[in-house]
Amino acid sequence: MNENEIIAKAQKGDRAALSKLVKMYEQTVYNFAYKICRDKEKAEHTMQETFLSMVKSINQFSGKSKLSTWLYTVVSNHCLMMARSNKKHAYISLDDEDALIDPKNITDWDIAPDKFAENKELGGILDEVIKKLAPEYRVVFMLRDIQGFSTEETAEAIGLSVPAVKSRLHRARAFLRNELNSTFGYEKRL
Amino acid sequence: MKKDYKITCKDVMNHICDTLGEDLNSPTCTTLKSHLDSCESCQKYYKSISQTILVYKKYELDASSDSHKKLLKFLGLDDCE
Repeated sequence: MNENEIIAKAQKGDRAALSKLVKMYEQTVYNFAYKICRDKEKAEHTMQETFLSMVKSINQFSGKSKLSTWLYTVVSNHCLMMARSNKKHAYISLDDEDALIDPKNITDWDIAPDKFAENKELGGILDEVIKKLAPEYRVVFMLRDIQGFSTEETAEAIGLSVPAVKSRLHRARAFLRNELNSTFGYEKRL
Repeated sequence: MKKDYKITCKDVMNHICDTLGEDLNSPTCTTLKSHLDSCESCQKYYKSISQTILVYKKYELDASSDSHKKLLKFLGLDDCE
């Protein structure tokens, strides 16, 4: 049975089909939620709320976009809502573009991405670095660069203009790159 | 971009951030691409931005079996296992 057939069954009230859809996407949704929330409990909560939205509105799903695209949109907005309700954390301002790119701070990088998943220490560094990035930048980076949404799809998913997505993406990439430079860059600077 | 405009590495690095994954062959990118092709510093920057994206793509975390059970219970689908 393909995904469209499972969705059609779920729309007719087949609970086993709904359960199947949950199983198909729970790891994807959890992973995405964790990368934005950086907290296991919050990621779990976001995953639950995202699938609750899916269960409640599966009848309205027209199939014009992929179910995964729709789920990413829902989970992104849940994460952003949660971040807005918790404004205690102060993030580094990325307003000063000149400070983000310093040609004197360019080094060659030496990493083996294929071995990365096995390295818990490096995973911890990635967590710490992305935690410094404000959620509204994190979401753009995640949707556009990690999930492969187009700039236009990212803008539509989180209600931003295309120039705003480009600006946030540019700053997020430069910020993360700078923060990781001390971990991955050779000592010898150009 | 005018041909006589003298671009700096910083211009190119800014542009890399804006256009990575997009069409570097568009007319406005030609001058910048030509700089990128011949500038070691900008190539290193381009590589480091690409690798930043790659390491976050590779870094995956799975939901535990406990999270899975809680999720199905929360949705009232725990009898569908």
